[in-house]
Amino acid sequence: MGGVRAPVGLVLALAGILAVACPARPGMAAEPEECATPPELMQGDVRLPHLAARVAAHQQAKIVAIGGASTIGKAAGSPDLSYPHQLGEILAQELPQAAITVVNKGVPRQSARQNLDRFPTDVFAEDPVMTIWETGINDAVRGTDVDEFAETLQSGVEQLKNRAIDIVLVDMQFSRSATALINFEAYLKALHRVGDLADVYVLPRFAMMRYWSEQNVFNFDNVADADRARLAARVYQCLAQKLAQVIGRAVR
Amino acid sequence: MRAPPRPLSPSRDLRLDFFRGVALVCIFIDHIPENYLNYFTLSAIGFSDAAEVFIFISGFTASLVYGRLLALRGLLFATVQVWRRAWQLYVAHIFLFVIFIAEVSYTVMTFNNPMYNEEMGVGDFLEHPHVAVVQALILQFQPTFLDILPLYIVLLLIFPLVLVALRRNVWLALAPSALIYAEVQIFGVDVAAYPQGSVWTFNPLAWQFLFVLGAVLGRTDAHRRGPADLLRVLYVPAIAIAAAALAIRLSWTIHGLDDGFPAFFLRQLWPVNKGNLAPIRLVSFFALFVLVAHWVPPQARFLRAAAARPVVLCGSHSLEIFCLSILLSALGHFLMSEIATGLSMQVAVNVVGVCAMCLTAALLDWYRRWQQVPLTPAVPAGSERIGGGED
Repeated sequence: MGGVRAPVGLVLALAGILAVACPARPGMAAEPEECATPPELMQGDVRLPHLAARVAAHQQAKIVAIGGASTIGKAAGSPDLSYPHQLGEILAQELPQAAITVVNKGVPRQSARQNLDRFPTDVFAEDPVMTIWETGINDAVRGTDVDEFAETLQSGVEQLKNRAIDIVLVDMQFSRSATALINFEAYLKALHRVGDLADVYVLPRFAMMRYWSEQNVFNFDNVADADRARLAARVYQCLAQKLAQVIGRAVR
Repeated sequence: MRAPPRPLSPSRDLRLDFFRGVALVCIFIDHIPENYLNYFTLSAIGFSDAAEVFIFISGFTASLVYGRLLALRGLLFATVQVWRRAWQLYVAHIFLFVIFIAEVSYTVMTFNNPMYNEEMGVGDFLEHPHVAVVQALILQFQPTFLDILPLYIVLLLIFPLVLVALRRNVWLALAPSALIYAEVQIFGVDVAAYPQGSVWTFNPLAWQFLFVLGAVLGRTDAHRRGPADLLRVLYVPAIAIAAAALAIRLSWTIHGLDDGFPAFFLRQLWPVNKGNLAPIRLVSFFALFVLVAHWVPPQARFLRAAAARPVVLCGSHSLEIFCLSILLSALGHFLMSEIATGLSMQVAVNVVGVCAMCLTAALLDWYRRWQQVPLTPAVPAGSERIGGGED
């Protein structure tokens, strides 16, 4: 692999130079190798018209990330290692002209309904141009009625759209032992269907993490506690990379 | 071993057992995620699913069995009998809860994925076990899959009232029930549960309506001209509704597999609220009910066929088989996610699960029939059972 890595690094470096040289056309995020996923997981239309307009006009833009424990970055031990923070850092490099800030509004252990109840204070009050809504795990764990879960998502998406806020939904985290215990399928289907019907992109985090798990990329077995937090931070970094790619695709 | 004579009375409506059996098999299959057979259960052919069948038939048989008791032995006896049944359900529910706690505690305690610790804690049972257990005992804590028995228990607790009302006048039972249902649909009233912020998955204020409707149709004196005429009138609309529901539901399923296929009315109709028993579910269910009532006579030959027998047996021992199906689907889910998700594993899980349910039902039935045979011929047959539809 060492032989391959050098040219990849070189290409990425060149891409970086290009990105700096022509800031209007951001280059692809320099993704760590371990974040790689099959291309079909990164397909799908992404439309973020309001964010794209801000970027094109070189205006400031605020993104609010709302969600649960994995939004606040609990497992990594610090909000600085959470995916929204890392996303902010990547976007600052890739789209410096827009001065994008990412605000973290993750609160652990909340259902989609509880997220939605926070929208007025945590989302609308921030006046963002885009919102990333990561949700669904707690609903699946608690066994919320799937249809009610879908209705909650639809209501949230509609409220955001009415306020001209772009949306990306992030589906559940994958974990093999959690999946053995909890039925995520129905909730995943509902969340993706809400995205489909509303023309909102859904980051398939569940499928990505399942892929990493199957490829044994991030393995939490037999790992000391301190290393586990570092491992979690790397997973968050990959998710930030994926989101940056999605955003990059939409604003280009 | 010899089989004792079959005590099935010729008047017994085998459709009740058969379709309750079908519902139980569907519940087992539907509870296993990523199971291809999900595409072929009751939820795939209309907006309603096995839950409606289960609750409706439960209301129907309850009124059949306890209505007769009420007429023969009075209100107190019928009430005690109904509540005894509720107690059995309660014990079964607590049994399932203990197994659930064992499974979850074990998994969570051996859990080693920090990215999920926070989320798994939401179950709350390990953090506040003293509260969670008490909440489970008062039916307020309803983990996934442990939600339909609490509904059934509550419905039985109030059932003596329904029985008394039904005896006076159908509308005395139906009108308040329909009003409460309408209130749920209009104002979205729900029943709070534990942990804070959750509600009863099956809203008893909504689902009581289906149970009462079942009870109305199950009245022992229901075999009069009125209902039969009504059934004839409803036949054509029922065909239209069932066909439309089938087409729409099928288009959604195909759309889920292939984006290119149009999903009819998905934007307008989805999601169909199950917790509050959305009217479209009720309409879809009753369309199927009318068709079954038309096409399948109570003593239809296929209901007596050997192939239908395992399903009929499952339906006539519904409580035991329901509990078993919940355990089996959890086990099947576990095996599929821990060992393999391939097609052969799927086939194995489904086949073994359904066979286990049918064999258990057969064993229970064999045992019950022997139990009814007096040990010595001298003992008079005093242990006569009434009905038998409620087991």
